[in-house]
Amino acid sequence: METRMKLRPLPPLREAIASRRVRLRRAAVALLLLGCLTQVAGAADPPPGVIETPMRDPWVPPSQRQPSTSPPTSGADLRAQVEQKLQAAFDAADVNHTGTLTRAQAKAAGLGFIASHFDDIDTRRSGLIRFDDVRSFLEGRAARARSHN
Amino acid sequence: MALKIVFAAMLALALAGCGGGGADSPQAPPATNLDSAVYSSAADASLPNAVELASVTKHQLVVDGATLNYTAIAGHLTASNPATGAAEASFFYVAYTLDGAAAAQRPVTFFYNGGPGSATVWLHLGSFGPMRLVTGDPSTTAPSPFPLVANAQSLLDVTDMVFVDAVGTGYSEAIAPNTNISFWGVDVDGQVFRDFVMRYVAANHRDASPKYLFGESYGTTRSAVLANLLETAGVELTGVVLQSSILNYNVNCGVVSSNCMGDLPSYSAVGAWYGLDNPNPPPAQLPAFVDQARAFARDQYGPAVAQFLSNRAPPSTALLTGLVNITGESLGNWQARFNMDPGFFQRTLIPGTLIGLYDARVSAPVGSALASEGDPSSTFINASFATGITSYLASLGYTNGSRYVLLGNANARWTYHHDALSLPDVIPDLAAAMTQNPQLRVLSVNGYHDIVTPFYQTEQDLARLGANPNVQTRFYVGGHMTYLDNGSQVLEKADLKQFYTSTAQDR
Repeated sequence: METRMKLRPLPPLREAIASRRVRLRRAAVALLLLGCLTQVAGAADPPPGVIETPMRDPWVPPSQRQPSTSPPTSGADLRAQVEQKLQAAFDAADVNHTGTLTRAQAKAAGLGFIASHFDDIDTRRSGLIRFDDVRSFLEGRAARARSHN
Repeated sequence: MALKIVFAAMLALALAGCGGGGADSPQAPPATNLDSAVYSSAADASLPNAVELASVTKHQLVVDGATLNYTAIAGHLTASNPATGAAEASFFYVAYTLDGAAAAQRPVTFFYNGGPGSATVWLHLGSFGPMRLVTGDPSTTAPSPFPLVANAQSLLDVTDMVFVDAVGTGYSEAIAPNTNISFWGVDVDGQVFRDFVMRYVAANHRDASPKYLFGESYGTTRSAVLANLLETAGVELTGVVLQSSILNYNVNCGVVSSNCMGDLPSYSAVGAWYGLDNPNPPPAQLPAFVDQARAFARDQYGPAVAQFLSNRAPPSTALLTGLVNITGESLGNWQARFNMDPGFFQRTLIPGTLIGLYDARVSAPVGSALASEGDPSSTFINASFATGITSYLASLGYTNGSRYVLLGNANARWTYHHDALSLPDVIPDLAAAMTQNPQLRVLSVNGYHDIVTPFYQTEQDLARLGANPNVQTRFYVGGHMTYLDNGSQVLEKADLKQFYTSTAQDR
């Protein structure tokens, strides 16, 4: 087993490797760390891990044990919950409350799924999509997936 | 400018790591650590800033006769808010990557335990990483600390692995102005894990790699939430492995006072282990016997408990006799606790003996040291994992003077509210992930002798998704951590390898 250590190159640094100054700096850091390594080798055994509480998984504090009184959802009720979830993410990105999103708005809100499928969702080629468009796109994909299975 | 800040921070850390005395310090420097940051599991703790520092070491492992060269990377990555870019938390992780593999074809899997409040030490050192603590489970005769050995059943032959600790566990901590408790809730935890996964993928150029999640226990709750958030964010997953699931807290009768129907087949398997069932099945017939218990639970016990809970209708003598035969639990105990929760079962099945909750095959005399914390199966392994993790990390070149917290107090301060419910039901999250990604495959793995996340309850929960060939379920002899059992670990590895191979073909 090899025990050599080095600083993991960070991606921004990796990208900037053309810069000679950066290369020099990295060499300096590596040297500094090499100096440390000789000391690490002689370090005492590390302190053992700590267990602050007994293993409790799953567990909920007694004051929070308030289970739902409704039976678990399935079928159409579950599909409605899924739709609510997806619509909530859509609506949160629709900061101007227009009922529509542009690709840029979707991207800015972190809706990478919608942004990356935007052209397939935007069947009217208007540059603006409604949640109904997302739903139609998902239904089409699901139907295609079923026919593949 | 950003580069300069990173460089300055690294330099500062490197200097501090060398003892902080500077190059011209006259005294011999004290023994020092690679990472000198001080980590805390406290609810109100936060790091003033964070540096993405890691130790990188090279190793070899033999799996199925093939020598695998791999790199271990142990350190921190910073999760940031995707909208604002603000730093949220510094995640401690250990990644194992196969040398020379093409990233576009090589899967990467994110592993985490649950709790909430548990570090990812049980999966890391017990399951399918390159090194494994051999516990001898379910026997409690092995001397501790357990030996740490090369893991011949590692998943390194099929996937790169990233073991990551939740905020406020291990060496993971929030970054100011956040504090650890900022991320102690079903939704915020899922969000900050999403941001860690996205940072790992970007930092390591893994956009094209097949991506998998592997959570255990509360980690399966996290996986459902996280899978949905990742798909929404445009990070497509290939597979999700659910190890010993809790997908709906509202129906787990060890957590809340719900119908314990889902636990009955587990009690049957435990009764069979101790030779108490009538007739008692030989080990090879356990699956068929458990099938009978499923039918008994569904058709007789479950409906009778529902009646009992609504109007205290007493069960028939025939039903009670059936319960005694199929579980080995006494008639008196079934009369005393008809809706029998696992905490009652573990204390009463064998007089004078406490059986485990996580692995009910583990037992200890009442009053013994192993029984003193309420669960002999976790008490037996805790100390070895606690000493094992930090010395193992040191062998990977990562040392830190802080306390590595295996089990913290996050679950007492957690926000369990999710969607419109006080306690999380994450089947809708899993369904939303599978709606956004119809190719997403789910493998549910379960232990017959786990009475905290009973397998039949998990089957009921997953059945809500409807008939779906993308959801598969497997069962093993063993407890919550099925992989601790040497025999079951081999079987689970084979099933996982098949899962990875078949999902890769689908892409």
